[in-house]
Amino acid sequence: MSRKTINIPLGAQHISLLEPVRFKFECENEKIVGVDSDVGFVHRGVERACTTKFKFDAVGYVVARICGLCAITHSLAYTVAAENLLGAQVTAKAAYLRTLLLELDRIHSHMLCLSHTCENAGFEAMFMQIMGDRELVMEIQELISGNRVQFDYICIGGVNRDITAELGKKILENLTLVEKKVREYKDEFLNNWSLSLKFKGVGALSLEDAYRFNAIGPLARAAGLQTDVRNEMSYLPYKEIGFVMQMQESGDIHARNMVRLDEIQNSIEMCRNIVNGLPEGEIITKIKGKPQGETIVRYEAPRGELMYYVKGNGSAMLDRVRIKTPTFSSIPAFSEIFLGQEYADAPAILASFDPCLSCTAK
Amino acid sequence: MQKIQSSLEKIREEIEGFYDQKSWHFLTLNGVALSNEKLEVQWIFSKYATPDEVVVYYIEVPYDVEIPSIADIIPSAIISQRELVDMFGIAVEGSTKGLYLDEDSMQTPLKGCQI
Repeated sequence: MSRKTINIPLGAQHISLLEPVRFKFECENEKIVGVDSDVGFVHRGVERACTTKFKFDAVGYVVARICGLCAITHSLAYTVAAENLLGAQVTAKAAYLRTLLLELDRIHSHMLCLSHTCENAGFEAMFMQIMGDRELVMEIQELISGNRVQFDYICIGGVNRDITAELGKKILENLTLVEKKVREYKDEFLNNWSLSLKFKGVGALSLEDAYRFNAIGPLARAAGLQTDVRNEMSYLPYKEIGFVMQMQESGDIHARNMVRLDEIQNSIEMCRNIVNGLPEGEIITKIKGKPQGETIVRYEAPRGELMYYVKGNGSAMLDRVRIKTPTFSSIPAFSEIFLGQEYADAPAILASFDPCLSCTAK
Repeated sequence: MQKIQSSLEKIREEIEGFYDQKSWHFLTLNGVALSNEKLEVQWIFSKYATPDEVVVYYIEVPYDVEIPSIADIIPSAIISQRELVDMFGIAVEGSTKGLYLDEDSMQTPLKGCQI
């Protein structure tokens, strides 16, 4: 007897995710037995624009427009690549300030993902609670950089603004408030039925499959794969400010939530250490020349590994800018996770990936 | 980063011999349009838990050849293989057009776009 299946689409527009991605699930009764994905709805040709429309010193601001959430990680990866090609180094103070904004970005990005997870569990009150608390981080970002999102804070040679002692105090105050809130969330995610039992064992990725599909970011660490670019690079002072890789083992939605909660706590600790131990010195170094040669720079964005390949030819226009975003390389792993799951769980599983289609299609 | 040049005939075999999934992380496939009407295709890897260690296997090929697929060795390569097809218009074994562009699109946005 032939197998009877039906095809059910999820997206391109779906309430579980406000970004355009379409999964086509082949289902046998309620079980997903096949997955096809389409991620290319918002391709904008950023890579081409970076080599044909903009000079190398403007590209850092162009790539920041790839994503509203992790704009600063794109700025950083490109800028460090350009600095490598120019043979330049930034001051310790600039490296610390860059790291401060990067970790604040991780905190609010993870909070957004956790809030969507609550929304998918039907826990609307918790969704609104986390989104409201997230404003504490957005406020700090605005005070430091001048913008809530899309902050053009990082530039070739350093950063564009310093922080005052008064602002440092405000950052510490807000972080203390966020830390208290995160402890409350953790209690809910561990003990509330809607957020713990409902998600345990659902949407799991095994360690073996994490290796096989080159999983990255919280998806990999939740499955027990010890990988975090912050542990595999030397251009930011993560070893000095208390970075600790956060791990789980079960690889399910619950484990991904717990990794993100633990990472928020670690990021708060790192931000505090940066503000309290900020080195003296200039925030920007004047750099001359034009990029020559090729380089690869990786950074751990909130969703996982971001990679920039940049090739310069000694002129103001670059030969190639290749952007590998975290969600893009995770799509094969996402598809694997869906197999064997109940269709009813698909929106929650998708939200737990924290996908960014704006980054993916670039 | 360490660059290792290979050839169209040997690249698959060399990656299969090099790649150990517990030690090496596959980042992506990359294409770089060269000025002489050729494409440089790169397979980029980083080593787990090792700072700044990146290995790039690369070949230089004309646009009318077919690049061998490594998706049976590294399943996650499938999506970057499809991207290469879309962006450069080069054939990759088993990969179809249509990730970003329409399936019948004649465009190749990154082919020879150097200034």
